[in-house]
Amino acid sequence: MPVIDTHNSVNALEVRGIGKRFGAFWAVQDINLTVRPGERRAILGPNGAGKTSLFNVLTGDTNASAGSIKMFGADMTRMPINKRIRHGLRRTYQHANLFNGLTVRDTLFLAVAGIRGGWGQLLPLKASDHRLAEAERLAEVAGIQTFFSHEVSSLSHGQRRQLEIAIALAENPKVLLLDEPAAGLSPAERPKLSELLMSLPKDVTVVLIEHDMEIALQTSESVSVLFNGKLLAEGAPTEIMENEDVHRVYIGGAHVH
Amino acid sequence: MRYALIVIPLLLLPVLLNDFWLTQVMTRALILGIVALSLSFLAKYLGVVSFAQAAMAGAGGYTIAYFGPNSVNIGIELPFWISIPLALFLATAFGGLIGCVARRSRGIYAIMITLAIGIAFFYFTRQNYALFNGWTGFSGVRAPLIGGISLRAPVPLYFMSLLSAVVSMMLVSGFARSPMGLAIQAVRDAPGRVMALGISVSTPIIAAFAFSGLLAGTGGILNVWYQERISSFSVGFGPIIDILIIAVIGGLRYPSGAFIGAIVFVMLDTFAVDLVDRERFNTLIGTVLLLIVIFAPNGLQQLVMDGAAKLRRAKQPTN
Repeated sequence: MPVIDTHNSVNALEVRGIGKRFGAFWAVQDINLTVRPGERRAILGPNGAGKTSLFNVLTGDTNASAGSIKMFGADMTRMPINKRIRHGLRRTYQHANLFNGLTVRDTLFLAVAGIRGGWGQLLPLKASDHRLAEAERLAEVAGIQTFFSHEVSSLSHGQRRQLEIAIALAENPKVLLLDEPAAGLSPAERPKLSELLMSLPKDVTVVLIEHDMEIALQTSESVSVLFNGKLLAEGAPTEIMENEDVHRVYIGGAHVH
Repeated sequence: MRYALIVIPLLLLPVLLNDFWLTQVMTRALILGIVALSLSFLAKYLGVVSFAQAAMAGAGGYTIAYFGPNSVNIGIELPFWISIPLALFLATAFGGLIGCVARRSRGIYAIMITLAIGIAFFYFTRQNYALFNGWTGFSGVRAPLIGGISLRAPVPLYFMSLLSAVVSMMLVSGFARSPMGLAIQAVRDAPGRVMALGISVSTPIIAAFAFSGLLAGTGGILNVWYQERISSFSVGFGPIIDILIIAVIGGLRYPSGAFIGAIVFVMLDTFAVDLVDRERFNTLIGTVLLLIVIFAPNGLQQLVMDGAAKLRRAKQPTN
C-alpha cells in the first residue's frame, strides 16, 4: 500500500503513457501529464480529441488500456472509483446527472456525509446536524445558497453546474477534474463561473476541460492541447495562443485575440 | 392540524358505525391500506414496483399463525409480546432478502423478479406442510387477549389497525427524511451518480425493501387476526394483484393514497354483490382501474388534490 505524500516535491498527478482503446480505436494514446500540487491546468482540444475519455480513465469511470496514473505518488491505475474518491480525487460530469427528486440541501448532505454511521442513518435528519451546516457552506462557496431548499429539478442549467461543483468540493478534495463546467451556460452566467473557479482554495489542484477559450485561459496557469487522442502541445496560455499547430487544429487558423 | 382533521373523525367512527361497517369496511380497508402503503413506498422512493408485497405480508402473517393459538395444532405457542416482534422481524428480514435478490434489476425486470419471488412463495406455502400446513394453511388463529379483551373484537381491532396505519404513515415520512431515505431516493434518480459519491447502491435498495417488509408484515399480522386464518390463497396471485390495484387507484406516488385506494376497493368488493352479480367483481374493479388509469393516472389522491386546488383558486377574487 503506497503512502500518499502531499509534500510539494511530489506531483499532484503524474500520468505516464496513458491510453484508452475501444476495439481497434484508441480514444487517447500515449498521454503524459505532470500536474503540480495547486496548479490550474486547462485541457483544450476539438470535439473528439479524447478529453473526456482521458478524464474517465483518470477517475476510474473506465479502466486504462495502457500506462500508469499516480496521484501524490500513489499508484491508482487499477484503483476502483470509490477508492480514488477516498484519496481526494473528484470530478464533475459534462452531462449533469443529478438527483432530480432531492433538494440541493439533501444532495449536498449525501455528498458530505454519505450513509456512514450505523443505525442513526435510519432516523430523520435533524436541522441542527453539523453535516448540514457543511452542506450549506458548500452551497455558499458555489453560489447557490439561495436555492438551498429548492428541488434539483427546478434549477436552471447554470445552477446545476454550480451544484456539480459544490458536490465535487465536498470533503476537501485534493484534485478536482472539471469537465466543461461552462458548457451550455448563458453569456451572463460565464463570468460568474470563472469567478467561482478562481475563488477555489489555492491548495486544490484543478484540471479543467473547457471549450470556452476565454474561461480556460483566464483561470489556468498552463494548458495542454489534445488532438486525435494525442498530446499536441503544452505550455503557458500565452505560448499556446501563439502555437501554430494549435491554431491549425483547434482554432482552424483563425486568429485568437 | 391537517392530520387532526383526518384522525379525529376516524377516532369517532366506532360511535357512528355499526360493527359491519366498522370491521368489514373500515378495519379491512386500513389493513389493506398498510400493505398497499408498503408497495407505494417502494414505488415512490425507490422507483420500483414490487409484486412481492403479498409474500412479505404473508411472512408476518404465517409467523403469527405458527407461533400463536390456532386450531390446526401446528407450531409453537408463544406469548404475543414475543410472537409479534418476531413476526415483524421476519417480515423485515424477508423484505431485505428480496431486496438483495432484486437489487440489480430495474423497471420491468424488477417487476418480473419480484413476481417470480411472490409466486414461488405461494407454491412453497402450498407444498410445505411442516411450517405452512400446505394449501389449507392455518385456521382458528386467535388474536391476543389483553386484559380479557380480544383484539379481534370490532372496536379494539379497528383501533389497533388505525394506530398501525398512523404509525406506518409517520414511519414512512420520517424514514424518507433520514440519510438512508435520501440515499434511497438518490438511487432512484441516478444510481451511477450515487456510486460516484462513494456510496454503495446495494445498501439503500436492501434497506428500502426491508422497510417495506416491515410495513407489509404489520398489515399481514393484522390481516391474520382479522381473517382468523391464513393459507396459500392469502399470498397467491389474487392478493398480489389486489395490492397493486389498491395502490394504483389511490395513486402510486402518494403514500396516503394507499388508504384511499383501499377504501374504494373494499367498498366495491363488499357491495359488488348489490350493484352487479358477485361473480362480476373482477369486471367491476377492472373497469374502475381502467377509468383511473385513463382519467386520473396519478390516482384518486391527485384527483382530490387537483379538485381542492381548483376550489381554492375559484374562491380567490381575480383581478
